[in-house]
Amino acid sequence: MAEQPLIHMRGIVKSYPGVKALSGIDLRVDPGQVMALVGENGAGKSTIIKVLAGATTADAGTIEVDGALRTIRSPRDSQDAGIAVIYQELMLAEHLSIAENVFAGREPTRRWRGVDFGAMRRATAVLLAELNIDASPDQQVGRLNVARRQMVEIAKALSMDARVIVMDEPTSSLTEDEVATLLDLVRRLRARGVSVVYVSHRMREIFAVADAITVMRDGALVGVRQVADVTPGEIVNMMVGRDLVDMYGQRPAPRPVTTPMLEVRNLTAGPRVLDVSFSIGAGEIVGMAGLVGAGRSETALAVFGHNRVTGGSVLVDGTQVSPRNPREAIAAGIAYVPEDRKREGLFLGLPIRTNITSASLSEISRGGVISRSRDRTIAARLAGELQVKAPSVETAIGTLSGGNQQKAVIARWLARRPRVLILDEPTRGVDVGAKAEIYRLVREIAADGVAVLVISSELPEVLGLSDRVLVMREGRLVGELAAAQADEQQVMALATGVHHEMTRDRDERP
Amino acid sequence: MSDTIQPIAPPPSKAPPGRRLDPIARTRKVLAAREAGLAGVLVLVILFLAWRSPYFFTTDNLIVVARQASLSLIIAVGMTFVILTGGIDLSVGSTVALVSILTGTFMVDLNLPVVVAAVAALLCGLVVGLVNGILVGATPIPAFVVTLGMLAVARGLALGITQGQSISGLPSGFLPLGQGSLLGIPIPVWIAAAIAVVAHLVLTRTRFGRNVFFIGSNEQAAVLSGIRVRRTKIAIYVIAAGLAALEAIIETSRLSVGQPSAGGGYELVAIGAVVIGGTSLFGGEGSILGTVLGTFLLALIQNGLILLGISAYWQQVFSGTIIVAAVGLNIWRQRRSGG
Repeated sequence: MAEQPLIHMRGIVKSYPGVKALSGIDLRVDPGQVMALVGENGAGKSTIIKVLAGATTADAGTIEVDGALRTIRSPRDSQDAGIAVIYQELMLAEHLSIAENVFAGREPTRRWRGVDFGAMRRATAVLLAELNIDASPDQQVGRLNVARRQMVEIAKALSMDARVIVMDEPTSSLTEDEVATLLDLVRRLRARGVSVVYVSHRMREIFAVADAITVMRDGALVGVRQVADVTPGEIVNMMVGRDLVDMYGQRPAPRPVTTPMLEVRNLTAGPRVLDVSFSIGAGEIVGMAGLVGAGRSETALAVFGHNRVTGGSVLVDGTQVSPRNPREAIAAGIAYVPEDRKREGLFLGLPIRTNITSASLSEISRGGVISRSRDRTIAARLAGELQVKAPSVETAIGTLSGGNQQKAVIARWLARRPRVLILDEPTRGVDVGAKAEIYRLVREIAADGVAVLVISSELPEVLGLSDRVLVMREGRLVGELAAAQADEQQVMALATGVHHEMTRDRDERP
Repeated sequence: MSDTIQPIAPPPSKAPPGRRLDPIARTRKVLAAREAGLAGVLVLVILFLAWRSPYFFTTDNLIVVARQASLSLIIAVGMTFVILTGGIDLSVGSTVALVSILTGTFMVDLNLPVVVAAVAALLCGLVVGLVNGILVGATPIPAFVVTLGMLAVARGLALGITQGQSISGLPSGFLPLGQGSLLGIPIPVWIAAAIAVVAHLVLTRTRFGRNVFFIGSNEQAAVLSGIRVRRTKIAIYVIAAGLAALEAIIETSRLSVGQPSAGGGYELVAIGAVVIGGTSLFGGEGSILGTVLGTFLLALIQNGLILLGISAYWQQVFSGTIIVAAVGLNIWRQRRSGG
């Protein structure tokens, strides 16, 4: 405790018109400490990060760096204080090389001869080697995957002599493998004496890497705990302010096996969907696990008619449908909630109402003319049933939180009473409280006799929610487990293809 | 409807700033404000012109303004549909030229009956739109490039067919369309008004209109919602070209001459009117009412410059400045109200 904190924010207050985003927050980070910052969406994590980054200015409060009071009014001030922030949306120039990105705006120059590309490349290579990043300084950033890009951002931060690196939800789009690599990198940063503020929802990562945890709720500080003295359950309770007894709900007794509602036979579609066969009964929830790139979303999109199918067939309730486009799939009773809500799911500037009824226009119109009363009634009923939290159905959907946006997208499909519902990463970017609501909702939908396929990279979610778990690797379905008996190790073993002997393989191909 | 939806405000960090009005009233207010601001500007311009020029409020002058605005409006309505989907149509001006000379050719050279000739010319305009629509909807070539190409091709066709010559000697039975009046109001004004009303209803009340907004808001999400994106896009370019063709026929009638130089710069006037009216160039947001106001603003400024004795050569300087200022103002207001 005698140690001088590296960063000490005291009494930070920030209000936006009508909203108090931060009400007197303290955040203390010691040198070489990994401080996790947790809280539900809207707890104020982003705001406090923005204050630290100089992206916004606090109304009150002080920031001390190394015991000295600093005024941070711009990103420049923040950088000068040794603070680097890595946002969820990475800030890299995709068309430029790694080296050019690392030294963007600070290119080493030689007198009369402009940028010294050689020096830039060499310095970048040293940094990459130090961080154990297997990439060449000349690689174009646009061709790197998200995990690599993040590493480039970290290298950039170090090249600026950052002493504290803030990472905002760094693992939200990483695979399990990449997460492990990133956590390893965080530990190495700590070993170099760099502090890390690690913002995340994921307890497992936090407990794997953090030294201490700062918990926020509704713009206020709930408490700071040493990782050694606390359990994940306690942290979650601090975040939500209540006990989350069983997030995933009760798995219902297995139903008698009837004819499958969805049957996929030998489906082949491009290089990532190879001869995939499975079936889902009415009322059943089937999880689909696998690493990113294993072909899970591609399988879903092929079933939904969006990706071109080159072989195999899709049956709904015993009838062959094999849709050639999403419209035919929808007509056959298949619904798909996409992985990337903003890019593929939402009409951001439009009201909740039109977002909900967008797939049901034929039901609410006659002769091409929309019945405005039915439009409103259906949207309001579903928004109400799914407890979409918003002032009204006329609110633009872009202003809602991730969880409420997701509920609205699910509502879009419930409006059509689908027989098959495919959910691709249904809780990505959704806070803990809304997650539990979505799980409950999925259970209710299944209980109504809908066949549900849940694609997820979060193993606890796949195991907790599903009746059965399908595992994909490299475009093939490599295993099927009863969720009640399976554990994460078994799923990972199948997904990564190691420890074959451990698993009950279904149609394993070497 | 707010009794079933949870009456809880969105979480603080996402909540839009501003006073806590009844949310529906607030939404209405914001929506109204977009066009209300523009209407306010329009009123100021009218007051200014009335103050500075005794001729402004004469029937003759107002009819000139209305006729001019109505012709621009017909094209701008089609452009509104295109821009709402996130597209652009640069070829409408050239389409006007092509249809104008075809109208002349059909009536004068081929001596077809007036109605047959007009319908044939209109159909040729629709073909131009169909080509645009198919290229935009079914190939990955951007709308900007497709219609830039068509801008050159259609103009070239008009010049090639006529060898650059105007076609006069149109039958007298054709002239009332552009020159006649009904109840003291020019026929083009009636036509433009009808088109604007129908377009407004189509956009706000029909599936087609809803699809236009969906495509402009998020094309990928539209595809995954089962919306016929390609078909809708084709239809939109056909509508834009069709309205340009209609304008061409009316204009040809009004000037009693088919000319290959007709329609020069019309695409810019139409795009200007649409964006002044608050329609987002990225699509998914906008209205016909805004386009109507935008069109009238541009027409009034043109008229005002003439009345104030400023050389017509300066006119484009004013139009251009106003377009940029209006869009800047819109963006600024959105930032302020949307957080």
